[in-house]
Amino acid sequence: MMPKSNPADPNEINVEDLLRLKRSEKPDSAFWDQFDRELHQRMLQTLVKKEPWYLQLWRGCSGRLPQATALATAALVATVLAVRPALLGTLQFSDRAAGTVLASAAQQDALTLADLPQEVTDAADYQIDAIFVSDALSVAQDAGYERDFGMDVIQVAVNDTADYSADSALARAAFGQTGMASLVF
Amino acid sequence: MATTSSVSEAFAPAKDAPLSERDKYWIVVQKVQAGQVGAFDALVQKYREHIFSVLYNMTGNREDASDLTQETFIKAFQAIGRFRGKSAFYTWLYRIGINTTMSFLKKNSRRRFINYETINEEVATAEIIERLTAKNRTEKGVLVRELQEKLNESLQKLSLKHRTVVILHEIEGLEHAEIAEITQTSVGTVRSRLHYAKQQLQAELKDYLR
Repeated sequence: MMPKSNPADPNEINVEDLLRLKRSEKPDSAFWDQFDRELHQRMLQTLVKKEPWYLQLWRGCSGRLPQATALATAALVATVLAVRPALLGTLQFSDRAAGTVLASAAQQDALTLADLPQEVTDAADYQIDAIFVSDALSVAQDAGYERDFGMDVIQVAVNDTADYSADSALARAAFGQTGMASLVF
Repeated sequence: MATTSSVSEAFAPAKDAPLSERDKYWIVVQKVQAGQVGAFDALVQKYREHIFSVLYNMTGNREDASDLTQETFIKAFQAIGRFRGKSAFYTWLYRIGINTTMSFLKKNSRRRFINYETINEEVATAEIIERLTAKNRTEKGVLVRELQEKLNESLQKLSLKHRTVVILHEIEGLEHAEIAEITQTSVGTVRSRLHYAKQQLQAELKDYLR
């Protein structure tokens, strides 16, 4: 229960007295000058009316933008239709190019294999558009392991059981692989 | 910015009959509604300190109070065409300010920091400060700063609705009926909130009371 203030006691201080001190918390004139400037600026900004978002969207759908978009889409379709034969030709060229790359890789591999002993290279089996895999080394070394060719590797001719899981140079040498498969992937 | 002469012109009544304060400002409002936009400056000059004081004590932050005060006047300016004079203009203005601030505080309840206003020099010479200084044997400047901090902290601990009635009654000096109109509650509700709020404040400020 809050004690009532006693007007007879001049020394009494109550909550109301303390709260009234807060009336003295006032900003200076410089604050009000800035306040007036900012307020006027904001009031002028409110005079520039903005449309609600749904009206802006409606205007956007029926304005120049969709027309321009439609024209651009039509131009794109026409361009695709026009260059389609050329595109198809490019894809075929890319296939042939890939074959050329592989063929050159095979040539490099052939140079490497040329360094091998005669009896080793005689046992190798090569395909034209594939990475050359020679199991001659493995045959010579009589490694006696199974190699497994998965569906997602470049097809090689020799021994359908080659394993590409080990990609180190040492493994490639042991398996008789050129290691070019890793570069292709 | 409105000058003294423009403010006087804004309040110049059409007839020589004496007018109440409420009537005077109603004339200004009608001028604004009639298109004399410059007359709105007179309303700003008249009420900006009162609105700022209320919003500052509600937020405890000087910068927030300044922004919210501006927002209050902008909203009032935009809506003044719909004001029909059923209540006093300042009641309507206070209501806009308090509602705007309550929305702001609810939205920013976590991101809050205190930024106190400077204390006017007259506080230092107030009799109550003299008595407190003598009682606590504290240097006056230190006491004033401590008291300001303690008062603001105590106010911020109150709920929004209790804080509002305390500010409007004890700091702004409004009557219960006016506060009820501003807060759109009953006089009884205002009285009970005021009583509860003062009890809370008394507990918080017991070191300064006797």
